Formats: sequence, structure tokens, C-alpha cells
Amino acid sequence: MDWPSGHALATALVTGLLLGGLFTVTALGLSLVFGVMRLINLVHGELLLVGAFFAFELGLHTGLDPLLSLVVIVPVVFLVAYPAERILLGPLIGKGAEAPLMTTFGLSIILVNLFVLVFSADTRSLQASYATDSIQLAGIDIPLIYAISFGFALALTAATHLFLQRTGYGREIRAAAEDAGAAEVLGVNVARAYGITYALGASFAAVGGVLVGLAFGFDPSSGTSWLLTGFAVVVLGGLGSLKGTLVGGLLLGVAESVGASFPQVGDGYRNFIGFMVFLVILAVRPRGLYGRTG
Amino acid sequence: MSAAAPAASPGALLEAVGLSKHFGGVLAVDSVDLELRAGETLGVIGPNGAGKSTLIGLLSGALKPTAGDVFVDGRRVTGLPPHRLARLGVARTYQIPQPFARMSVLDNLMLGRLYGAREGFLKARRECLEIIDRTGLAEFADVPAGSLGLLRLKRLELARAVALRPRILLLDEIGAGLVESELLELIELITVLRREVESVLIVEHVIDLIRACSDRVLVLDWGKKLIEGDPDEVLRDEKVTAVYLGTGTRQDLRRKAAGAAKRDAQPLVSVRGVAARYGTFKALHDVTFDVYPGEIVTLLGANGAGKTTTARVLSGMIPASAGEVRFRDERIDGRKPHEIVRLGIAHCMEGRRIFTDLSAEENLLLGGRTAPSAEERRRRLADVNELFPILHEKRNDSGGSLSGGQQQMLAIGRALMADPTFVIFDEISLGLAPIAVDALYEAIAALHERGVSMLLIEQNVERGLALADRAYVLEKGVVALSGAPAEIRSDPRLRALYVGEAKGDT
Amino acid sequence: MTPPSPSQALGGSLLAAAAVAAALVPSFAGDYVVGNLGFRMLEYAALAQAWNLLAGYGGLVALGSGAFIGIGMYGTAKLTLGAGFPLIPALLVGGALAALFALIVSPALFRLRGLYFVIATLVLAEALQIWMFNWNGLGGSDGLFMTNAAPSPSERYYLALAIVAATTLLLAIILRTRLGISLRAIRDNEDAAAQMGLWTFRTKLWAFMIMAFVMGVIGGLQADYLGKIEPGGAFSLQWTVDIVTIAIIGGMGTLWGPLVGSLFVIWLGERLANHPETHVAITGAILILVIRFAPYGIWGLLIRLKDEASGRRRRSRLA
Repeated sequence: MDWPSGHALATALVTGLLLGGLFTVTALGLSLVFGVMRLINLVHGELLLVGAFFAFELGLHTGLDPLLSLVVIVPVVFLVAYPAERILLGPLIGKGAEAPLMTTFGLSIILVNLFVLVFSADTRSLQASYATDSIQLAGIDIPLIYAISFGFALALTAATHLFLQRTGYGREIRAAAEDAGAAEVLGVNVARAYGITYALGASFAAVGGVLVGLAFGFDPSSGTSWLLTGFAVVVLGGLGSLKGTLVGGLLLGVAESVGASFPQVGDGYRNFIGFMVFLVILAVRPRGLYGRTG
Repeated sequence: MSAAAPAASPGALLEAVGLSKHFGGVLAVDSVDLELRAGETLGVIGPNGAGKSTLIGLLSGALKPTAGDVFVDGRRVTGLPPHRLARLGVARTYQIPQPFARMSVLDNLMLGRLYGAREGFLKARRECLEIIDRTGLAEFADVPAGSLGLLRLKRLELARAVALRPRILLLDEIGAGLVESELLELIELITVLRREVESVLIVEHVIDLIRACSDRVLVLDWGKKLIEGDPDEVLRDEKVTAVYLGTGTRQDLRRKAAGAAKRDAQPLVSVRGVAARYGTFKALHDVTFDVYPGEIVTLLGANGAGKTTTARVLSGMIPASAGEVRFRDERIDGRKPHEIVRLGIAHCMEGRRIFTDLSAEENLLLGGRTAPSAEERRRRLADVNELFPILHEKRNDSGGSLSGGQQQMLAIGRALMADPTFVIFDEISLGLAPIAVDALYEAIAALHERGVSMLLIEQNVERGLALADRAYVLEKGVVALSGAPAEIRSDPRLRALYVGEAKGDT
Repeated sequence: MTPPSPSQALGGSLLAAAAVAAALVPSFAGDYVVGNLGFRMLEYAALAQAWNLLAGYGGLVALGSGAFIGIGMYGTAKLTLGAGFPLIPALLVGGALAALFALIVSPALFRLRGLYFVIATLVLAEALQIWMFNWNGLGGSDGLFMTNAAPSPSERYYLALAIVAATTLLLAIILRTRLGISLRAIRDNEDAAAQMGLWTFRTKLWAFMIMAFVMGVIGGLQADYLGKIEPGGAFSLQWTVDIVTIAIIGGMGTLWGPLVGSLFVIWLGERLANHPETHVAITGAILILVIRFAPYGIWGLLIRLKDEASGRRRRSRLA
């Protein structure tokens, strides 16, 4: 088996690390919703696309830069996702794990087809100068968008951490995540805490979607593969751990890039590597790097 | 296996040697040696938290021991999965019935007969129908198990276990939640089925059932074996009575002016004819009592009497299926927990239920979220820290890192952060050493000085009565005794409620 | 085997009657109804029924159906094209290959409980799809053309009918045997089932392999229907989406549910044939409504209406 050259390997390591930042952002919402609500949000991939399509349309009609348009997108997504969770998912809590899961499944197929209806099945990407530029770091070419994504990953993870650890709302969410019954008795409105968590998760997904749209391009069916990548990150890092999601994303990025740099492997198998990593982790250490056994 | 590996004693059908089980920091079962001989029925009793259910879990393979061994008929079975133990002839029933709800009663039995007893389909069917007949479930053979009432579900548990054609039957608190007449029926059934198995181990807190069915009795306390022997002797033993009723407590913690509390015309909390259920399980039938402003009222009763259920109805965690609860003459039954908190009622829950992931201070701040201002909340925090200085010291440590006693203080502190007028303390002494409990009760006495009204739920009778103005004793969901502490303490019926009547007594 | 009760005998006769009625369709319906609409209704009924065995009766939600359908598709294609196998043996071998795959992955897969299991099946199918895209051994992303003589529409129809009838019959039989009891016990309370002496892994494995086999056979049939197969379609997530939708809307945990569900959903698709995206969006909305308000699906609703009309109130259903 041929090994990649030293330079190729170094490129893969650095690029992979930064790409991992993108993975982290796309997985953050999934991690939050699962950690707090024990819900696998099967519509997560489509929520990413909501962000991407929204940015696309804003760019088309107002010429607004994709990253700047996040200022509009995030609040709107948050304000729509909150009542959606309260109405669609809230009543299903306590009726078993399948009902909410299948509901998000139903939402997923509705959204995918709405996208095709409204936007057609064409592949698109978000345009910006930084989407295609690259920068030089110690002689290695890095796509600028990867570096930007990495920055987002650090910023969002830090912001979430601060929110959960330092604010009253965050405290209530953490309490509800551990013991909803006890939280309720103390006066915490658990239903509202879940709604906020879900809306945050959706907002993060939208951010991830814009980054994905800039870096790779998207079409209505892209959601699934990002959902699965998100799973891989969350399981690798450990459910319920923010730090785990960050580290998991970076590791996955490195694993995929390094794996793809082997000449025989090539880029087609990139996602495949990610899935293999995921399956191996599930088989060997299901709770991931930093996960709790609960 | 080393040369020093324990071997089974001859003649023992089921044996545990040095069996221990850790759950995190808690030692639920501590080096228990137990022998179930062929042909006998062994009763295992002990107060709440003594480790009885864990023991059944260990003997049936549902739990893996941290140390020690289990032998079935001389063969080492430690660590074998449950289905292997079932095939070796060990069957168990569950404390809360676990039927296959969507399957018929007949199919519930068939599973064990086909896979546990390994019989052919047609023969298994015949045999199961016969067992269904004998356990009084004949008309329900084709009915989905989930639709049965509690007593029939317990019959099903027994029938299902017997269908396995076991040599050893492990009964886990099968008497729980039944009224007198139902209990007699169950005892009758057990006596009949007894003849079909070799040996039975009954874990129980319903003493009548133990007396009626056991050849020998073993008492567990704090996960350790305390005493074993003939049922009547053991149940008359002072040590056993002490374990259930509690030992004496420090004199200075007895309230000086007990019973002399001036009564306002209006009770602060009024409970009338309250009933409550968990699915088909009726935990409370008719509970009536009052708490007047400034009082400490203690609620006593054996395991399963309904004390915690009462607490949950008061704080809104579960609804009352009948009757009403009033706070300051306003009806509060049916309201949500977070509304009831705002009215001034705090519930310090059984099992503490602190948030292990949050720091001690964060736990307290959460308790104070109904405070009208951040300043008020800080004032309350300072108050709690004064009452429990250790909480201030450990304020940034995670809840999970605190010791049992400290966690209980945190739970109490958290309840107090709501600045309540009325607090429900549910089993705060559970699982704690006496010294730790002394500290807690000092704090409660101090609280009382400030005029907070309290409902104290205690398994330890002495502790509970020491601070009380008045006390009620629950039995099977109704109030059986009530009055001043001194009256209750000297009432002969009290002992009977906990340890049952001996055959020679009145 | 448990002898059937009177109402079960009635239900069985109705099923048989439905099968006979379906068999008569090609004698008066045109090629499109037989070879396209009818065929799809039957094949999806078979797929949903197979999925129902594991998910409805066993409580294990597997979202990786594409894996088995794809394996069957490629297996059958290769055998009929390359090795000149006649169709029916090729279908059976395709199914067997899918079952073999199920066997191989099951030791690792069944160690996972609950939601982990669900995600793992999804990832497994996706990974397989990517592998097939990239591996040129079986045509890679270009796929394979079915250049041999295709069966006629009515031949395909009858094969599909045979498969769904056989699958339904198989389920009906299984439910009366020890496998049916053990499967439902696992669904209702896995820990108690183990305590009764059941080695749960083996039961799960049987159900899993049967499901995989049926899906593989249908996949093989699909190859001829399409004329060309490629990894995107063969291993697509769309299979899972359609199967799960049909099973839930029709009613999981019943024999009629998947059949009714398939009829309804495919019919709906026909009505909205010119607006395919609207069709799926509406289907998704119906799915959400069913989950919320009619957990036992259309069939469950029909049963409830029938009971209420006849004045009988059944407290709960035997399943």
C-alpha cells in the first residue's frame, strides 16, 4: 500500500483539523438536543439545509453575504423552531422513545420535499470570495472557509459552554437534562427548557448549513449525509459532552482527510471512513471519549 | 480459579457466599452469606434501603456482584446471564409486576415454559393452561396481560414463575400494595404453589406474609445480615425491633414544649379523603390529616404504607384520584408542581434527587429561582449557608462529589431556598449514619424556631417522634393511628404495624 | 402451533380472499395497473410486512432497509446476467445473500440497545451504499444494465403477489409459534423475557434474517422492473423512508396494517402523480398526525370504528 507523501500527510492533518471544525458546527445542534432531551433529531440534516437555502435566497434577492445573513437567519429559525417543538414534540414526551423519533422522521421527509418543490433538486452553493480562496500556512494550502469554520466551531462551543454554565437558563436546562422530575418540583418549566434547547439546536444547524453551503454546495438530499456525519461526531465524542463534540469533530475531520490522502483510497471514500469510524466506536466503546455511561 | 475459591455447602440448593454489590459509592449488599436449603422457605426482611431487592437481583442474574459468589445446587453460577439461571431452575417475580402487557396471559406463561423449562409446544400449552387454572386466572387466559388489575397481575407473576418449572422461586416483595383480603388470597396461593417447587426465598416487608409462609427468617440491615433463625424468635428479638422502629436519640433533640403548640383555628395544610394510584396500583385509599401553622407533624408507617405517595400528592408530582388537598384553605390538588412551589410549599424529596452534574451552589440557586429578586435570592443563599456551613465551603464542588450526609443537607437547603412556609421532608435519614442524621435534625429544630411548618416523613420512628408536635401512622394507604408523640410511642398497635402480630399476642 | 380462534380464522379467510381478488386483477386490468401500480403496491406491502416483523412485533426499529434491498438487487442481477440463472432461483439466492449480511452484522448490532441500534442500522446502510458507489467490481457508480429477457408485467405482478402472500402467511404462522411469543416478549419487556429463560439474541437474529431475506428477494424483483440498477437507487435511504411511512400509517404490529398502508400510500401517490413532492410532503404530514393521534395506524382506526359500531368496547388489543 502506498503511503501519502510527507507533504500530503501534513496537508491532510492541518486541513483535516480545520475541516473538523466544520463537522463540529454541523453536529453541535444534534449533540445539544440529544444530551438534554435524549432525542435523536432525525430532521437535523434538513435544518442545516434550511440555513443554506435561506442564505441562498437572501443572497439572490438582496445580495447579502452568506455569513452576514446569519444575523437574520438565526433569530428566524429560533423563533420558528421553538413553537414547532412545543406543538409537535412536547405532547409526545413520555409516550416512549419512538413517537418523537418518528415525528422528526416525518418532518424530515416533509422538508426534503418542500425543498424540491420550492427550490428544485438542483445542486447549489453559496457564493462568496472566501468560499474559494485559500491561505498559506507553513507552506500548506488551506481553504479559507475551513479556517473560518474552525473559528466558528471554537466560538460556538465556547458560547454554548458559557450559556450552560453561567446563566440561569443554562442551569435550568442542565438540571432538566439530568432529572426532569426533580427540576419540575423546583419550579423549572421543563417543557419550556426543552423548547429552548431544540430551538438552539435548530439555530446551530442553520449556521452549520451556511458553512456547508459555502464549503461544499448542497441539494435537497444532502441532509442525510450530514445527519450521519453528525451522529459520527456525537457518538465519537460522547453523548452529553460539549467538549466531546468539539474533539470528536476535529478527530473525525483528521481521520477522513488523512484516510482520503492515501492514494488508493481517494476522495470518494471520505464519508465511508467516517462511517467506519462511527461503527467501530459503537462496537468497541459506545459511550465515546467523554460520554457519561447514563 | 485460585485454590482459595469458595465452595458451596452440601445440602444447600441456593447459596450466596460473601455477596457484595456496589452502586457507585453505595454498598447496597455487604458480604452476605445466605443458604437456602432444599425444601425450605426462607423469608428475608429488613427496613427500606437494607438491600433486599438488590439481593434478589443478584441471585437471579439480573445484577452482577461486585464480590462474592452464588451457587445453585453446588454449581458456581456467579455472573451468568439471567436466561442461563432461569434454565438452571431459578425463577423470580418482580416487585412491580412486569407482564408482557400486549400478550395474552397464556402467552406470558408459554414463554417461560418453552424457553426456560424447554418443553415441546403442545405439552407446554396444556401445562400452562393448567397452571392458569390453579392460579385462579382461568377466565383471563386469552386476555392481554396489561389489562389485569393488581392482584391478578401478582397472580400472573407467580404463575409465570411457576411455569418455568423452577427448583427455586424468588419472590420480590410480592405482597406490596395489597389490602388485607387480597393478601390472604395471595398467601393461600403461595402455600398451594409452594408444593410445586423445591425451595422458596421470599423478600418482604409485609410481615404477615413472612410469618405465614416462612420456615426461617433472615434480617438484613444496611446491606448486612443482622440475624437469622426461627420466624417467631427473630421477630420478637429486640435488635430487630430496633432496626425497624429506630433507636433512642439524643435527649437534647427532643423538643421541650412538645404537644403544647397553640393551635390556630385554621390548619395550614388540610388533606381530606385523598386517594392516589400508580396505574392499577392504588397506593392511597383514604388519607386525612392536618398540619397547623408552626407545627411539626410526623408521618410514620411501614414500607409501602403510602408516605412518599402522600408527599407527592401534596407537592403536585402526582394527582389525587379522590379527595382534596387545601393550603391556606385554597384547593391545590391537581395543580402543577411549579405552581405549588410558588405558593410556598417545598418538597425535599425521597432519595435527595440533587443534580449531581451541577455544583452545590448551582443546586441551591435553582431552588431559589422563584425568589422575586436576585438580591432576595442571595439573602436566602446566605441563610442556607449559615444553617449548613459545609455547603458554602463546597459551593463549587459538583453535587455528585459530596458525601451522603452533605447531599442531604444540600437537598434540604435547596428546598429552603424557596423560602417556604411549609416543607415536606421525605426520609431524610435514609442511608445515613446516626451522627450525620443528628446534624440534620439540629437544622430542622432550628428551622422550626423560625416558624416553618413541616411534614416529616420518617421510617425511623424514634427520630420522627422526637421532634413532632403530632404524628400520624399510615397503613396501606389509610391513617391507622394519630395523636401526640407520647401517645403513639406507647401504643402497642405501633409495634404491630411495623413488625406484625406474633401468634401468641392479642 | 396454537390452533386459530374463530375470529382469527375469519381474519385468515379474509386475507385469503384478498389474495384471490388480487390474483384476478391482471385478467381485466391493463399493463400499467398490473405492471406498475399493482406491482408497486404488492412489493411495498411485502417490504412493509417484513419490516413489521422486526419493528412491529419485535420492537426493533431498523432504518437500514436499503442495505438488504440493494444486496438482493445486485445479487439477483449478477446471477441472471452473468451466470444465466433463471429468475426464481436467482431471487432466492439474492435474498439469501441479504440474510447472510444480516447474520454477519448482527452480533455487533444487537449489542446496541434502543436509539443506538436505530442509528447504527442507518449508518450501516449508508456505508454500504458509499462502498458500492466506489467499488468498481459491480459496476461502481455506473451500475448494471439488465440486458437479459425481462419477465412480463403480469409475471412480475404474480411474483410480487406470491411474495407478499408468503410473507404474510409466514408472519401469521410465526406468531403462533415459539418465535412469535419470544419476539413479542422482547418487545414488551426484554429484561423479563431474559429472566424467563430466553436467549434474546437468537430470537432477534431470526427475525432480522427473515426480514433481510424478504427484502432481498423484493430487491431482486425490482432489478427487472427498473431495467438498470445503480448504487444510488439500490441502496437508497428512500426505501427506508417509504417502508417506515407505509408501516406506521397502515399500522405496526398487525398483519393487515402493512397491506392497508401500502394500498393507501401508493394510491395517494397515484392521485398526486403530477406533484410528487407534494405527495411526499403530505405523506409526511399524515405520518406525524398518525403518530400523534392514531398510534395503531389506519388499520387500528378501522378496528376501533368497527368495535364502537358493534357496541363492543375492547379495553386493549392483543398484539
